[in-house]
Amino acid sequence: MIAIEAKRLSKTFSLRVRPQGRLATIRGLFSSTTRMVHAVKGAEFSVDEGEVVAFLGPNGAGKSTTIKMLTGILQPSGGTARVLGLDPSRERKRLAWSIGSVFGQKSQLWFHLPPADSFRLLGAVYELEPEVLKRRTGSLVERFDLTELMDVPVRKLSLGQRIRCEIAASLLHGPKILFLDEPTIGLDVVARKEIRRLIAELNQTEGMTVFLTSHDMGDIAKVCKRAIIIHHGEVVVDESMKTLKHRAMAMKYLGVRYASPTDTVLPGLQPVKHTPTSARYEVDTHKHSLREVVQALASRGELEDITIEDEPLEEVISRIYAAKSGAEASASIAAAKGGSHDQA
Amino acid sequence: MTRLKARFRCYSIAASTAIRERLTYAGNFHGAMLTYGLFVFIFSRVWAGAYARQSTIAGYTMAMAVWYFIIAEVPSFGMGRFFISLSQDLKSGQVAYQLSRPYDFVYYHYAERFGGSLADAGVIMVEGLVIGVLLLGGVPALDPAQGSGLAAEAGRAALLVLSLLLAGSLGFFLQFSLAMTAFWLEENEAFFWIYQKLMLVIGTLIPIEFLPAPVAAIAIWTPFPYLSYAPARIFVAFSWAEAGSLITRQLIWWAIAATLAKAVFARGSRRIAMNGG
Repeated sequence: MIAIEAKRLSKTFSLRVRPQGRLATIRGLFSSTTRMVHAVKGAEFSVDEGEVVAFLGPNGAGKSTTIKMLTGILQPSGGTARVLGLDPSRERKRLAWSIGSVFGQKSQLWFHLPPADSFRLLGAVYELEPEVLKRRTGSLVERFDLTELMDVPVRKLSLGQRIRCEIAASLLHGPKILFLDEPTIGLDVVARKEIRRLIAELNQTEGMTVFLTSHDMGDIAKVCKRAIIIHHGEVVVDESMKTLKHRAMAMKYLGVRYASPTDTVLPGLQPVKHTPTSARYEVDTHKHSLREVVQALASRGELEDITIEDEPLEEVISRIYAAKSGAEASASIAAAKGGSHDQA
Repeated sequence: MTRLKARFRCYSIAASTAIRERLTYAGNFHGAMLTYGLFVFIFSRVWAGAYARQSTIAGYTMAMAVWYFIIAEVPSFGMGRFFISLSQDLKSGQVAYQLSRPYDFVYYHYAERFGGSLADAGVIMVEGLVIGVLLLGGVPALDPAQGSGLAAEAGRAALLVLSLLLAGSLGFFLQFSLAMTAFWLEENEAFFWIYQKLMLVIGTLIPIEFLPAPVAAIAIWTPFPYLSYAPARIFVAFSWAEAGSLITRQLIWWAIAATLAKAVFARGSRRIAMNGG
């Protein structure tokens, strides 16, 4: 069953442009021009119940705007969104009972009070009976390991501890969908790992649909089964993590070290980095046979070491981001997909 | 639990949480208490000068004028300037969490802000009573025609508290409505500046009886006298009839302001624009 559906979803903001030049401030008082910013342009995707989907994109791509339209906070300028069969912009309050959200850069906890107070208030907001609230709080405290934190004022918690409390707080009413907007932003490696584990566990044990935006590829690779990439407000990639990872396998990073100085330039393949005795190559396996490249390098001299690595997922996504327009990105992706299928 | 009971529980817990947060640090109150104490002292000196050659001005004795100021300042110190924080929250997108909750945004804010202001107003009120008694020797005497004894004093106290609560509520809805202009305007502080100045002139610094008659006649039809004049007048020149009339008018303005706040929010929230995380 479809949990989230966006059809030609768009959001346009009007931005006031201040006049330039001499006496601009005074002229601005009498006349102003506005510029339309197309934050989201006709986004189309759907998410099934129980899926964990990464919603990726560089800064300003439209990720947070999309999440805010899906949670009913922002009204779309065009297109439609359905979340659990409801129209978020028209049925925001009704939808609120069934969704939870965490905005990594904002807090829902009372800063000077311990999380226990915020939990109590959220229990009342979601009309939980006192005994239900007690039971849910107890279970979340145990799962998120919050026993020691519940009575500590939020301002004294570390960022990682606070985010754990934020996520637990957003689950208090047992939402069917959890929207996570950059939940690991600013966290250290250990805290990120812990948050990822909890998200994966929530999905596995409760079948919760998770819609996650993040800049952290670790979040995505470890937690999500599918990635939707948005760029300049348009969805440019919507595919499984498996396919995305497979795409990463098309590019190999190859490193060699020789016992003595060796000529490392191969026909049609320049090293990206080299010293007299070592070299590093980026081998596009659609253009060059990896086996032939290795054989050619082995024949050049006495090899001491050789390493072959897949292209990091981060690089794959960066290449997509780097495309100057959605159309260019789509074209490069289509080309890559063709190659990737050949490879498969 | 019925829906109504559950909603009431939600808003009352929001209010009690706000009170708890305000009471976390005694330091929260120090600045306001110091400013208030200083204002009362300065005004008591101003009135001492003004009353040097006359015993009454527009029916107010010096003691009444000082007590008037003590009470009239309580709602403004209690409600504070939450316009600024709410406007900022709308512009920065901090309201994202609150907009994705199943409660009524206006009433939730009302409960939360009203709870916090009860703590602030309570502390200021106690300070004002102590300063007033120390400066003036006692609270204003009741007119014998309005009754005497504990029952009459309790009646005045109850109506004073009710009027203060209505003044705070009215102040909330007016500030809330003004803050909602942030949905349309990047710079909306001018509205609040005008609101504050009108509030000060019409009934906070001086009773409206001190204003020129034509101005007072117009002022009485605006909401401003009901933000501070009504409770202060009830305390210093108590009469059952006038208190009833003032509280009725406060209730009318409260209903108008609440409707306005709901309408402005409903219209403005469709225009909300928050880019980025």
